[in-house]
Parts: sequence; structure tokens; C-alpha cells
Amino acid sequence: MTWLFFIPAFPALGFLALAFLPRVWRNRLVYLGPVLVGVSAVVAVMGFLHYYPGGEVSHPFLTYSWALARMGSTQLLISFKIDSLAILMLAMVSIVGLCVQIYSLFYMKDDERRGWYFCVLLLFTAAMLALVASGNLLLMFAAWELMGVCSYLLIGFWYTKEEPRRASIKAFLVTRAGDVGFFIALAVIYGACGSFELSTILRTAPSWPAASVVTVGICLLWAAAGKSAQLPLSVWLPDAMAGPTPASAIIHAATMVAAGIFVLARMMPVLAQSALVLHIALWVGIITAIFGALLAVFQTDIKRILAFSTISQLGLMFAALGIGSIDAAIFHLITHAFFKSLLFLAAGSIIHATGTQDIRKMGGLVRRMPIISLIFTVGALSLAGVVPLSGFFSKDAIFESFLVAHQPVVFALGLLMAALTALYVAKTWLTVFFGDAHNTEAHEGALLEIIPTGLLAVFTLLLGFTAKSWLGYLDVHVEMPTIPMATISTGVMIVGAAAGFFLYLRHIDNDWFAARSPRLMKALDARLYTDAFYEKVIVGPYFGLSNLFWSLDRTVIDGVVNAAATSYRRLTAFAWRADAHGIDGAVNTLAATVRHASTLTRKVETGHVRAYQRFTVGAVILLIIVLFAVLILKGAM
Amino acid sequence: MLSFTIFVPLIGVVLIALLPKKLESASKWIALTLSVVDFASVVYLFTQFKRGSDAMQFVTRLPWIPQLNIFYHQGLDGLSLPLLGLSTLLFVVAILASWKITHKPKLYFAMMLLLSVGLSGVFTALDLVLFYLFWEIVLIPMYFLISEWGGERRHYAAIKFFLYTFLGSVFMLVGIVALYLATGSFDMIVLRHAAASLGGGAFGTPAWWIFAAFALGFAVKVPVWPFHTWLPDAHVQAPTAASVLLAGIMLKMGLYGFLRIAVPILPQAFVHWQLIIGILATVSIIYGAIVAFAQTDIKKLVAYSSVSHMGFAMLGIAAGTAAGFNGAMAVSISHGLIAGMLFLLVGHVYERTHTREIAKLSGVAAVMPRYAAAFSFASFAAMGVPLLSGFVGEFLTLVGTWSSKNLPHILVILAGVGILLGGAYMLWLMQRFIFGTPSPAIEGQPDITAREMTTVLPLAVCVVAIGVFWVILLQYANPIAVMLQKAVGA
Repeated sequence: MTWLFFIPAFPALGFLALAFLPRVWRNRLVYLGPVLVGVSAVVAVMGFLHYYPGGEVSHPFLTYSWALARMGSTQLLISFKIDSLAILMLAMVSIVGLCVQIYSLFYMKDDERRGWYFCVLLLFTAAMLALVASGNLLLMFAAWELMGVCSYLLIGFWYTKEEPRRASIKAFLVTRAGDVGFFIALAVIYGACGSFELSTILRTAPSWPAASVVTVGICLLWAAAGKSAQLPLSVWLPDAMAGPTPASAIIHAATMVAAGIFVLARMMPVLAQSALVLHIALWVGIITAIFGALLAVFQTDIKRILAFSTISQLGLMFAALGIGSIDAAIFHLITHAFFKSLLFLAAGSIIHATGTQDIRKMGGLVRRMPIISLIFTVGALSLAGVVPLSGFFSKDAIFESFLVAHQPVVFALGLLMAALTALYVAKTWLTVFFGDAHNTEAHEGALLEIIPTGLLAVFTLLLGFTAKSWLGYLDVHVEMPTIPMATISTGVMIVGAAAGFFLYLRHIDNDWFAARSPRLMKALDARLYTDAFYEKVIVGPYFGLSNLFWSLDRTVIDGVVNAAATSYRRLTAFAWRADAHGIDGAVNTLAATVRHASTLTRKVETGHVRAYQRFTVGAVILLIIVLFAVLILKGAM
Repeated sequence: MLSFTIFVPLIGVVLIALLPKKLESASKWIALTLSVVDFASVVYLFTQFKRGSDAMQFVTRLPWIPQLNIFYHQGLDGLSLPLLGLSTLLFVVAILASWKITHKPKLYFAMMLLLSVGLSGVFTALDLVLFYLFWEIVLIPMYFLISEWGGERRHYAAIKFFLYTFLGSVFMLVGIVALYLATGSFDMIVLRHAAASLGGGAFGTPAWWIFAAFALGFAVKVPVWPFHTWLPDAHVQAPTAASVLLAGIMLKMGLYGFLRIAVPILPQAFVHWQLIIGILATVSIIYGAIVAFAQTDIKKLVAYSSVSHMGFAMLGIAAGTAAGFNGAMAVSISHGLIAGMLFLLVGHVYERTHTREIAKLSGVAAVMPRYAAAFSFASFAAMGVPLLSGFVGEFLTLVGTWSSKNLPHILVILAGVGILLGGAYMLWLMQRFIFGTPSPAIEGQPDITAREMTTVLPLAVCVVAIGVFWVILLQYANPIAVMLQKAVGA
């Protein structure tokens, strides 16, 4: 199945084909997008079936490596590695990617730059596929950065508007702040084992010095926090919703934000060597999970709700990694990818139909667009963790692992997060689909919307109870949730959902909270001041600092230069007088030459040829004098 | 063959000089032809070059002033060949970018060709006196290009450029003479062994002082903070082509000086200088990036970004490891291509609007989509996005610095922050300049023309080629990096 190596190549080819075409042709050829990603999906599924029933992650089915260049005395290698985890991820990314591509045909059909949109989306998909198939951290990092660029381009796709421009630069810089951690981790890893090959890294890691392990671990956590929108780098994701909705579905729900989790999972044997690193991951994850869920409750923009929900769910995966439970994290990563991109696509249809993103202006949509409502409901139930949808199984797997790892506090916090999740899901669902209809023109989605969203809904329905057959692919033991576990989590979910119903029926909205506790509501409105922190502590001072340095550059550093030049001119004038009094030899001519140069401002205007001669002559004279001096000195020695 | 490459543009200088005034518009064709011939001859050298070796090739060694042991001594190795290639390529591009020069075209193109001779000479000379001579030749045409075809404050900028770098080269000359007095040789290859007798290189030994003289001379040229203030002035005032050459290739003379002379000849002194150079390099990275962020003039912004990027190259050198030296060489080639592209593109907009004020330029993407694509590409390359050449150098530099025995790890972290700050000023420039709604100055301007695209395209191709296939560059750089690492003893 060497075809598997070409999975990233199909979308990459599509990018190359579209990138250099004139806009008109690019717009005509947008069909290349779904076709090529479709090919990738077919190959990935064939690969999945071919290697069924899978195998251990440490035993790749296929590897392919080549030398990037010789560095020092060794070859710098780059490689692809197809193992069971890579195949699962390839299948997930390409299937979600295909759905998003098809959906985009509809969603972007009237945009005059739709060709460029597909072009960037193809590059993005290629990068994500390359990342998951990579057996080498350097290649992963390259793909990781390219995804950041594509995300920037897609968030800022409607660049004439202020909001997307601000959001795109914010997203790129915040994630890049994380990437610096990856960068440093690579430098440390190279110092520790002289290679970026995963196999070499994992083999040698047990003998690394403890300081290297901790540095690599913390740097990678930082990098993953950037990409996966964890605290304190979570601020970019809610703003990133300014881009086209289907792009958010793949980038900010299913793939790029999951890349952080994936890379940590790949590097787990290294991270697991340090209890400190794991603890940080655990606590950052669970706190982010609660933070995201809490803020999602108070959002009124449907995409923002989903964005905070994503932050929260990714936090749960982060926490799962923090107790070393890769299987549970990957399980939730994959189910979440399907149901969250479903929610985004369905939300896109709703936004398209109603012309608003504010859930308070929606209402009553179940009658106007029943199919999309049904599909959205599937995603919402899965997010809330209702039996037997996939989200229920994967979430419980993570909760189970908290208990196994003897982390009762984290487990309790996880339940709190689950309750909050059910709350905002119920509240949103009720507000959007029931009550009075504000939009009389809203209509059912087109076929091109319903087919891909429906496909994602099918996956959301099936992936949970079939987990044994597909997650078992990783050669891990998959346990279905135990009855007590399921009871507890379902109970918590019901409590949360009931609270959501209560809030909805009693019309307890943000205004109600603002009236009771204005300060609390203000804090929630300001996202608990995370954005303000960056603006006040980093961005604002940086503007000041850069202006300060700039004026210092002109006054102090350049001031010294100019002062030196001025005093030198005075000195040469003095030397000129001294010269008249008869100082001969080298000093004499040297001073004269410099004087020519320093008073040249006047002279260049009188004639270039003369000045030119003087320069040339000056330089040559200087050289000759020095050489003679050397000759004399040499003779003297 | 090598001498042909160096001196062939002189034919053009003579031809242009002989050209009657009536035919002065033909001078650009002469210049273009000869620069293309020159570039082609370097391409030929590339094909004949034996890769994977650190030995000098195509060596010519003729007695010149035998009394003083001075030779006409030239050669190429993996360090100089890529730089020679970059230099001759940039000349073709720069001459194409000067197509609309109507003020004294004869003098202008003659100066360009003369500059080309000087640069090729610098990168091939193996005798210190010959090196110094070419080094000085470079100064003169550049001085005139700035002072005659530059902007409003061109005289100030030109004088500053000249005096500053001239002062630097005086220090270099002192170093050259001191080396000669100590060893009796001007031969860079011989000196690699001969200079061992100059004390241990610790503070106060002769080797330490000679290194100091060279380092100062080269640091001005690079430029390393705090010797950088000539650069923004020169850049802003210089005409487009001169900016391209200044950033693209002349700054690399300083780096080349470190890698060709200071480090291999005085490796023991270098070990004692590593920390100082490393710190100054890191300051350059951060400082350049911070000051670039405050700029309101696009050209000045790119000029300060050069200070920052050159900081990476210097950090790579200071690391003293194979990866670091590779990184420094990669940065110098890659920055030549990328800064070249940025200055060309800025020039194209300046020709249309006669302003470089970012505040007056916005919304380019809506009016000139192809130009916007080219500029965004160059910006991403400058930010060090993988698969483009900018990444290679920054990456290897950081990797090499971490493994360095004599540099603290904090420098790597600070340089990492520098990468982030690099993204900040570049993205902010893009946000204001490329995106947004078109400003009056931009409204109605024609998109990038075929000639303008021709100037940028070859550079873009190299940026992608090097960024994807690192081996293209590293096959030349690595043997030298290994040799330098051995010399330094890291």
C-alpha cells in the first residue's frame, strides 16, 4: 500500500495546479478540491481496510525516509511513517476534509475569490495530512507552520473588512508564539540526540539528561497550547470565527487545533518521563475545559459558542494526555472532529439561511429547516454526551481514565465541565430551533449542504459503539463505559441540560445576569480578561517599546555616530592647520584623505569625476602608504 | 575562468564609456548583456565545481608584488560559490529593475558593472591585499549610486555610508597588516596554519587584538548592533537597485569576512569572542525587530528587518558549530534573495505612487492582486515559514546555537522571541499595506507588469527551491561548516 504516502500529495497537487492560474480559471476549477480530497479519502479508507485489524503504534506498516541534506557529519533525515494511528488520522482528516470541500462548493459559490479559497484549503489539507503521516518532527513542524499560514489566510479571507484582518493577525501571532516553543524543542532535541526522526528520539529519550526532557516537554506543551487554543494561548480561537464557516469547520474544529494533541500523543514517551510535564498538561487541560465551557454559556454568537466549546473539549483531551492516556485522547479527538465539524457546517447553513450569527435572532428554525435542525441536533447531543452518540463514549473514556489515574479532583472538575456543556448545548439548541421565529425567509439547506453534513452525522452516530472495531485498530484495549460511570455522567448531563431548559424557559439571559451581578457579567463578557491581559500587558507596551527604541536609535546610537563625525571634522580642520606647520609623512596624507571625504558634501556637488578620482586615489594612496610602512617595518625587524 | 567571471563586466564599463551621448540609452542593454554573461559564467562554474569538498577550486596564483609576498590569488569553495551566484543573479535583476533610469544612464550602468567586479572580487580573493582592494572598490560605485540617484537626503546618507564603512575597513586594514607583520603572509589559506603562533587568543594576546580589528571592520558591514545606523539611511535614500544590492549582497561581505578570514585564521581568538558576538547578534535580532515595528516607511522597515536577520547569521557564526555555520551561510543566501524581493517590490510601488509612507498605501490586494500575492509570498519567506528559504537559516542557527558549548541557552530563547517579533512587524506591515480598503494613492494603479515580475520571479524560484531541497545549498555550505567547526575545535 505505498499509495498511502501519496495521500498528502493529492491535495498538494491541487494547490499547485490552482495557485498559478488566473482567477477566472481558478474559479472554474474549484471542483478539483473535492475530487482530490475525495481521492485521498478513498486511499485512506483502503489503507485502513488493507491493514485491518491494525497494529501497535510502535510498529509502522510502512516507512519512507530521505536525506534532506548532510549536516555536520550526519545526514539530516526526513521521513513518513504510516502506522495504525497515522491511518486513523489520515482517514479522519480526509473524510472531514471531503465533507467540508463539498459543503464549500455551495457555501462559497458566489464569492469572486472562491478559487483562491479552495486553493488555500487544499494546501491546508495537504499540510495536515503530511503532519499525521510524518515520522519526523522537523517535517511535522513544517506542516504545522504551513497550517498556521493557511489558517491566517482563511481567517482573513474577507480582508477588506476590519474584523477578519484583526482576527487573522491575532491568530497567526498567538499560534506563532506557541510555535517558538516547538522551534526551541527541536533545537534541544537535536542537541540531545542529533536527529529529528521520531524513532530515534523515542529510542534515545530514556538516556537524555532530565533537563532536556523537561525543556522539550514544556516547550512542546507551550506549542500545543498555541495550536490547540489552551490557556493562556486560547485567545485567538474565538476571534478566528471571522473567517468562512466551512474553513472553521475543518481548521478550528477538526484538524489544526487537534494537531497539538496529536503531536503530544506522538511524543508521549518523552513527555511521560517527566511527572512535572504531565501535571502541567493535566491542569492546563482541565482548567481550560472549564474555562471554555463556562464562557460558552454566555456567548450569543453561534460560532463563538462553538469556538469556546472547542477550546473546552480540547482541554479535556489535553487533560487526558496529562495522565498519559493517549487512547482516550485520540478517541475523543476523532469523535469530536466529526461532531464539531458537523455543528460548524450546520451552523453555517443556519447563518446562511437567517443572515445572522446571533442566536437570539434565530428561533423557531425547526419548522423552517427541519433536516438541518435534525442534523444539528445529532451533533449537539453528541457534544452534550448523550447515549448512544459518539461523544458520550469518548468523553466517558477520558473520565474513566481520570479515575484510573487516581485523580478524583480532576474527575470532579470534568463532571462540572460536562454539566456546563450540557447546559450551553441545551440553551443554544432551544434558542435556535424553538420559540418565536424571527426569520420568516429562512429555508431548508441545499442538497450540497445536507449531504456532507448528513455524512458527518452518520459518523457521529456510529463511531461511539463501534469504537472497539476502529479504535482497537491501535491495538489497544477499548472498554465500553461501565454502568456506574455511564450513570454518573448521564446524571450530570441531565442536571446540566435541565439547568439549560430552566434558563431558557425563565428567559434568564445575559441581561438577567448583568442586572444581578454587573461585575461578574462584565468579566464574562471580557472573556475573564484574557484578551485584555494581552492587550494591556503585551500589545500596548510593545507599541510603546518599539517607539522608544526607535527614538533611542535616532538620538543615542545615531547621535553618537553623528557627534563622532562632527568632532572628527573639527579634528581634521585642526590637523589641516597642524599640517601647515609641517607634520609630514603618513599622518599628513591620511588626514588629508579623510578631510577630503568628510568635507565632501560640498565637493560632490561641484563635480563627481573629481570626487571620484579623490576617493579612488585616497583609497589607493592609503593602501600604498600602509604597504610601504609595512615594508619599512619589516626591514627594521 | 574565474578571472573571466570577475572582470567580464569591465568590458561593459569600457563599452559604455566609449558610447556616444546620443546612444546612451543603449548602455542598459550593454549592462544587461554583460551581467547575463557574468551570471552564465557562474552557472558554468557551478556545473564544474566539485561538490562535497572544502578545498579551494579554480585557483589562480600569480606573483603580484613579490617583494611583499603579495599574490594575485583567487579561488572558490563552497562558501564563496553560492555568494558569487547570488551576487551575479542579483546584478541581472537589479539592472532589469533599473530599466527606467534616465538620469545619466551611462554613469549609472557603468557604476553597476564596476560594483559587480568589486563584489565578485571580494568573494574570490584569497590574498588579503587583493581582498582589501576589491573591498574598497565596492564602496565607491555604491557611494555614487546613492548620492547621485538617491532620494532627498542622499548626500547625507551617501557620506555616512562611505565614512562608516570606510572606517570599518581601516580597522580591517590594521588587522591585515598586523597579521602580515606577525606571519609574513597575506595568503588566507597559509594563514590558517601560520596564525597559530599568535598566542592563545585569550584577552590581551595579539590574536585577540587582531580578531578585534577584523571583527570591528566586518561588524560595521554586516551590520551588527550598535554599528547599524548607516544602514537604514543608506537604504531609504538609495535607488531601488542599489537597495537590492546593498541588502542582497553587500551586507554579506561582512559575514563572508567572518567566515573566510576572522574565524578560520584566528580560531583560538574566536573562541574568546564567541560570547560577545553571540550577545551582540541576539541584541541585533531583537532590537532590529522591535525598531522595525515602529517604522512608517516601508523601506526603513525592511532595512531594520535586515539588521534583525543579519543578527541570526551572526548568531549562527558565534555558535561555532557545524549547524550554526550552515545556518549563517543559509541566512546570508536566503536573506539576499528575500530582501532583494522585498526591495524590488517596494520599488515597484514607489515608482507608481512616489511614496513609501505606509499610512498612504493600503488595500493593495484589492487593486493589484498579483502584486499582493508576490509581496505576501516575500513576507512569509521573510518570516521564516517552512518550505521557503528563510526557515532553513533560522532553523539551523537556532539548532546550532543550542548545541554550542560557549553560548548560553538563553540566547536561543531570545532568538526564538526574535522570530515571533519578526512575524509581528511583517504581519502588521501586510495588514496595513496589502489588506484593507484601497487608499487614494493605490486606487487605479496597474498591477505588476511582466518586466517587474521577471525581476522577482527568479528570486522566488530560488527561495522555494532552497526551502524545499536544503541540499541545494547545504551541499556547498556543509563541508565548509565542518571545516570551520574543526578549526574552532567545538
